[in-house]
Amino acid sequence: MATEQQEHLKIEQLRVHSADELETIAGREKENLEGWIPTLATDAEIREALEKAFDYRGDVTITRKDGSKVEGYLFDRRSGATLADSFVRIIPVADKTKVNVVYADIAAIAFTGRDTAAGKTFEAWVKKYWEKKAAGEKNIQIEPEKLD
Amino acid sequence: MAVPVSQAWTVATYVLKQKLKGRKRYPLVLMLEPLFRCNLACAGCGKIQYPAHILKSELTPEECFKAVEECGTPMVSIPGGEPLLHPQMPEIVAGLVARKKYVYMCTNALLLKEKLHLFKPSKYLSFSVHVDGEKEHHDFSVCREGGHDIAMEGIRAAVAAGFRVTTNTTLFDGADPNSVRRHFDQLMAAGVESMMVSPGYTYDKAPDQNHFLGKAKSRRLFRAILSNRKKSWEFNTHPLFAEFLMGKQNFECTPWGMPTFSIFGWQKPCYLLQDGYADSFQELMETTNWENYGAKSGNPQCANCMVHSGHEASAVDYNFGSLKGFIETAKRYMFPSTYPDAEAEKLLNEWKPAHAMPLVQIQGANGTTNDQLQPVSGD
Ligand code: SF4
Repeated sequence: MATEQQEHLKIEQLRVHSADELETIAGREKENLEGWIPTLATDAEIREALEKAFDYRGDVTITRKDGSKVEGYLFDRRSGATLADSFVRIIPVADKTKVNVVYADIAAIAFTGRDTAAGKTFEAWVKKYWEKKAAGEKNIQIEPEKLD
Repeated sequence: MAVPVSQAWTVATYVLKQKLKGRKRYPLVLMLEPLFRCNLACAGCGKIQYPAHILKSELTPEECFKAVEECGTPMVSIPGGEPLLHPQMPEIVAGLVARKKYVYMCTNALLLKEKLHLFKPSKYLSFSVHVDGEKEHHDFSVCREGGHDIAMEGIRAAVAAGFRVTTNTTLFDGADPNSVRRHFDQLMAAGVESMMVSPGYTYDKAPDQNHFLGKAKSRRLFRAILSNRKKSWEFNTHPLFAEFLMGKQNFECTPWGMPTFSIFGWQKPCYLLQDGYADSFQELMETTNWENYGAKSGNPQCANCMVHSGHEASAVDYNFGSLKGFIETAKRYMFPSTYPDAEAEKLLNEWKPAHAMPLVQIQGANGTTNDQLQPVSGD
């Protein structure tokens, strides 16, 4: 679930118009989070950073207060009343298990993996399409990325 | 009849049983996502945006069967990712057919022809091929020249081999209703059993964030497409859901109607929104704050949504929820209307396509602004 900040274009539009009357609805504003290392000084900052990590489409690296690290895809977060009741769920890079990390145990989080959603706009595709067309290429396509 | 009588009967008795049991919230179709990887990289689809280790993961057949049993729906839809990339997909489908589940395997059909021999025709199995419009529209939408021809070849091969084949078309801003109607003619001529058409969702992971249909435009578009329809067109959507798209009915969302299970677990609350995951179907039903979703909730993420996964189950529930709903629906099935509508005819005749042929007419190289580049459809 995107944060209010990420959804703000849509929210702004809906403040003035009824969704039923809208011809075209706004999308969301994307944040560039790749490489981000948030400060986790307050409970609110911790919650906000983990909400963004949940929304992020790359891997993150969490350092626990005991010094141990877990790197992987953060696919879920359960937000409780306190940081001790709240935890994130991660699928580590090298293994298929699901690891839980309690918010209160987190010393640092870094958005270390590549943002797999970045730069893949229609505009980028159309630009590339025309470059290839001009170069005389046939059967132009976007190939899915290699996974190995 | 758009679906076999046995399927309609199975679904009707299932829903009636849920009603008799007094279940307020019951699922209708399980959306089983056994993998996220795909052999296309459509610019309009955010479904495959995950790190490589996630894209390489997949559900085992046993995990799929467990999810299907937990959920208990008579119908299972298998989206993805591209299910035909899953090495055990034939085993998964065979296992579901053996359990007498009506399976809709969603595919872009790039691999359909070559993998057809791995499946057996059955009344329980339908290939639901995603074709987003006529050739140029589809190729543009999947960002692959020639994609449409391969998909149509796959459809013809599956029909010739005796399989049930249905199609799924998703429309975004810039869709041309005249072209969509020609597309329907082509699909029916290729021998498909029935078609589904749905507006795209303002998916916040979609790479393109500028071309989402608002509700007003969606209704106008669907009124133009689905009014004055040809008798030869068969749809596998509930007739009242089609009327909802045309602006003739109003349904609230039923997010639990089509629950989704993937490698992450049971997705809260629906196929489109990701607000966390539950480890069991029961946990999903009991711990999701359902009142936070649907247009009425005020959730901005739901404000614009008209998609089938949230609203078709509402039409089905209305159908079985009251005598009025039952009679209305029965009438639609017994005396199917072509929805004659002079205003819709006028709309069609006056519709100005945003671009007649997107791939060849986009003038990106010589100064066209991005605002003029309008994708027609996507996932
Ligand atoms: S309205 Fe329903 S189906 Fe649509 S996004 Fe919201 S919960 Fe999901």
